This record gives sequence, structure tokens and C-alpha cells, in this order.
Amino acid sequence: MNYLNYAAAVFLLIPIAAIAINNICPKPYMKKNFHTLTGTVAVFQIAAAAYALCAMNANGLTAYDFSILSNLKITGSALFRLTPVSLIFLLCIGMVAFVSVAVASKTVESMRISYVNLLMTMLIGMNGMVLVKDLFTLYVFLDVVGISSFVLISLFRSTKALEGSVKYLVISEFATIFILTALAFIFMQTGSLAYQDIGGVLEGADGSQKNLIYLSIALLIAGFSIKAGAVPFHSWLPDAHQSADTAVSILLSGIVIKIAGVYGLFMVVSLFPGVRAVQIALAAIGVASILTGALLALRQTHFKRIVAYSSVSQIGYILLGLSCGTTVGLIGAVAHVFSHAAFKTTLFSNAAALHEQVGTLDIDKMGGLQSRMPVTSLSSVVAFLSTAGIPPFAGFWSKLLIIIALWTSGSAVLGGVALIASIFTCAYLLRLQKKVFFGETPEHLKNVTEVKGGIKFVEIALTVITSATGILFPLVLIYLQSRGLI
Amino acid sequence: MDQNMNFQTVMLIVGFLMIIAGCYCMIRTYHILKIFIGVEIAMKAVTMFLVLAGYVNGRAGLSQAYVITAIVLEVVVAVVFAGVTIHLYKKYGNMDIRNLTQLKG
Repeated sequence: MNYLNYAAAVFLLIPIAAIAINNICPKPYMKKNFHTLTGTVAVFQIAAAAYALCAMNANGLTAYDFSILSNLKITGSALFRLTPVSLIFLLCIGMVAFVSVAVASKTVESMRISYVNLLMTMLIGMNGMVLVKDLFTLYVFLDVVGISSFVLISLFRSTKALEGSVKYLVISEFATIFILTALAFIFMQTGSLAYQDIGGVLEGADGSQKNLIYLSIALLIAGFSIKAGAVPFHSWLPDAHQSADTAVSILLSGIVIKIAGVYGLFMVVSLFPGVRAVQIALAAIGVASILTGALLALRQTHFKRIVAYSSVSQIGYILLGLSCGTTVGLIGAVAHVFSHAAFKTTLFSNAAALHEQVGTLDIDKMGGLQSRMPVTSLSSVVAFLSTAGIPPFAGFWSKLLIIIALWTSGSAVLGGVALIASIFTCAYLLRLQKKVFFGETPEHLKNVTEVKGGIKFVEIALTVITSATGILFPLVLIYLQSRGLI
Repeated sequence: MDQNMNFQTVMLIVGFLMIIAGCYCMIRTYHILKIFIGVEIAMKAVTMFLVLAGYVNGRAGLSQAYVITAIVLEVVVAVVFAGVTIHLYKKYGNMDIRNLTQLKG
């Protein structure tokens, strides 16, 4: 049990230590070795999350409270809580951070010290968000994530990066205003923002109080949807993803929109369980995101923009899973968070590889790269099959769980829409594959070679993760059934 | 009691008016600094809501802690926004957001 406490401390203390090391060590040394430091932090996080998951399972725990600096025996001193769900989110954070670092070792040439500082700050923010026990601290960590991502996007100060950053900043301010107003109204009714005190607030309220609570729920959903990039609040997402460096796009699309947005909505769903209005709102936003994201992705010509709109579409699936209100739906949503983190980071590392080797990301100027870049081509095909939900890859199982959950909770129509929208997913990704990897090779691309180093390594590793998760997922289902969850 | 209810209602309405004014300012102006003035107006209303919440439920100490944290975060965002604005001004020579048309589609 003691080891679990140490494992928990890793998530918040190791990034702080990394920031200290990064700024104390001599600059030329750190510039050369920045990926060793950050990669170690990410590997530590993955190991600690996996260990804590096994330890909690072996001891039969469903939640473990811990604190970092104060004594646990004093009441109210445990500020953080580990649950199996938050551990899966932490595992995803570690994985995406590792991929980002591996890609950054190739793409980030200058500003490496700042990159490490900001990445570690963002890691603290995301880890804190999934560990905290009250809504106000959640908001504080949400702002930490937001601020570090604004700076990361505009890190290289190109005109496009500044434009993407300013758009994200202004739209995020709306989210901040919405979320804080909602918190003020909930605080007005309950006198506390801890998760366990908010639960019963709707039962105790009457008349105008109830209206205020419903208003604050609506504001919370709007605020977190802005952060998640769901339709109709998606306009910042493709701009920010396209203009940022690819190592930063991996972070944004792979994990930030899921922790800042989807985890917040996950908290709303679990704090107000069974509220019909929440479920209807999430289902409406989800369906709109799936269809709009897929249709807009069909007419883009920039590689990263297509993948960014695909993120909007996949976030819709996760929201549909949350909207069921059943355990199967929640499991499907969390599984889709993991598989989306895996295949979306693969597609963005493909983008980094193409940008390094070809020099452009305009898909009209590419073609026939399959024989010249076999690893990139194969990994992008696997990621595409997983995105479209083709068995036996990881994306198939998570989408299957979401559609089953929709079907059994009585919204068969939504399940049908989710199923049919997979065809659009196939359409835009097939278009991408055809234009980039198949067909005739233009004259100026005859000398293109395969990418080397970190990018090649993460492409192979992520392909293995996507395939292995897909093949081994029945074991997860058997385990969940033995625990009586599905 | 009646007077208290009236006070709360008045503060709620004033706060909502400030938020609407701030959001309208953010949407309708093209000058980056004016957009940020809109953000600040709305954030002041939100801060006032937090103070009002502490006054209503009698936990003024907790709401004080919340308000101070919110103000600190607001300042950090203001600094980042100012940094981005300075670089945009260096690139374009003015602060009109209608210049920002490179990302489309």
C-alpha cells in the first residue's frame, strides 16, 4: 500500500523535478539531451500508472486517496484521488507525451529549453486535472493546461502560429467565463465544490434554485465542449492544429482536447447521473460533431487539417458514449479515448515524417510515396483502419462498445447514425491515403527516402500498440465481465 | 430577508448584463486590445458572482480563496495575451484581427 502512495506522487512531483533539472543544468548540455529528460519522465509516468492499475486491482480498490505534502490522517488533507478511470487517462497522457518528445527530437530545432518547460507544465496540469477531488481545483489545472498550450502553439512566432494561438486564446476565454460562472452558481447552492458534496444538489433544490443549477449545468457543458473542440465550438481546433509545430499538434489532438474537454464532460456526467437534459445535450453535440467533422474533413487539402477535423468527428463518438448514462457507454468512451490517442498520434507522426522528408503537407503535391516510405505508409494504413472501426484494430472495439451502449439504452437511431458516419470516416481517410501514398509519383519526389530516428520508432511502436490492443481486447472484455461491469 | 433577496437579484442581473456586454464586446470589435477589454469585463462579473456566492451561503472565507486564485490566473492569461499581441503588432504594424486570414478552410 505504501508503494501506491509513492506511485501517486510520481504524477505531480516528477514533472516539477524535471523543470528544476532543465533550468539548473548548463544550457548547451540540456539542448543536446532534452529528449532524454522528458522521455524518462514520460516512461516513469507510464510505468507508475500501469503499476498503480495492477496494485489497485490486486487489492480490490476502486479509489485511493492520497496527498503529497500533508499528513493523510488529518481530515480533509487528501486532495487527490486515484481511480481506475483516471489511471487509464494518466496512461494515455504518458504515452502521448512520449510520442511528442520523440517527434520533437527531430522537429524542434530551437527553443528546446522552453519546449521542455512548457511540456512539463502541461503534464502537471493534465495529471492534476484527472487526480483532483473538487471542481475549483479542476478549473485551476484546466487553466494551467490552457496557458501552456497557448504558448506552445505560438512557440516559434510565425504569423500562422500567432494567429492560431490568438484564436484558441479568445475562444478559450469564453470557456473560462462559462465554467467559472457555473462554478459560482453551484457554490452558491452547496457551499462547497468537492465532488461528494455536489452529487445531491439537484434533489435538494426547488423553483428558481433548480433553474440556476440547470443553467450552470448548461454552462459547464458549453465550456467543456469548447475545450474539447466539439461542434458548434470547433472553429479554433483545425487552425491551432495546423499552425502549431507537429510535436505540439500531437499533444493537442492526442490528449489536451480529451483531458481538458472530455474529462470535464465525464465529470459532469458522473456528478449529475441520470439527468435527462445532460444526456440529450451530449447526444446532440456528439451527432453534430461526428457529421460536421467528417463532412468538413472531406474538402481539406492540408494533411494536418484533415486529421484535425477527424479529431472533431471522433470526439463526437466519445460524447455519444458518455450520453448513454450506462456503464457500458462510459467504458466505451474511455476505451475510445485510449484508441483515439493511439491512432491520432500515429497520423500526426506520419505528418511529421512527411514534413521532414517531403517538405510540404499539401496532399495535392504528394503521391506514390508508398514504395519510398514503407513504414510511414504501413503505419498510416493501420491508423486509418483503426479510425474507421475495421476489425481487429483497437478502434473497432471501442466503437462497437459505444454503439452497443447506444442500442441498449434505447437510442437505436443514434447508434445507426454512428454506424453510418463510419462510412464518411472511410471516405476522407481513403482520399488522404490515395493522394499521399498511392498513384503516380511526381518528378520532384523521386528522391524521397524513409524517415529515421525517433519518428520511425514511434510509428512502429504505435502500430504495434494499436494492433495488439485490438487483438487482445477480448481479454479486457472477459476481465470486465468477471467484475460484473458489462 | 426580503431586502436580501432583492440585493441578490439585483447583483445577479448586473452580473449577467456585464457578461453580455463583455461577450458582445469580444464578438463585435476588431481591435485585439478591445477584445481583451471585453474579456476583462466579463471576468470581473464572474469574480463578482463568486463573491456573491460566498455572501449567500455564508462561506466567505472559501469564496475569498477562490476569488484570489481566479484573479491570479486571469493575470497570467493577460500576460500571455499581451505577449501574443506584441508579436502580432511587430508582424503587421497594427492590431486589427481582420489581418488574420492565413488559416482558412
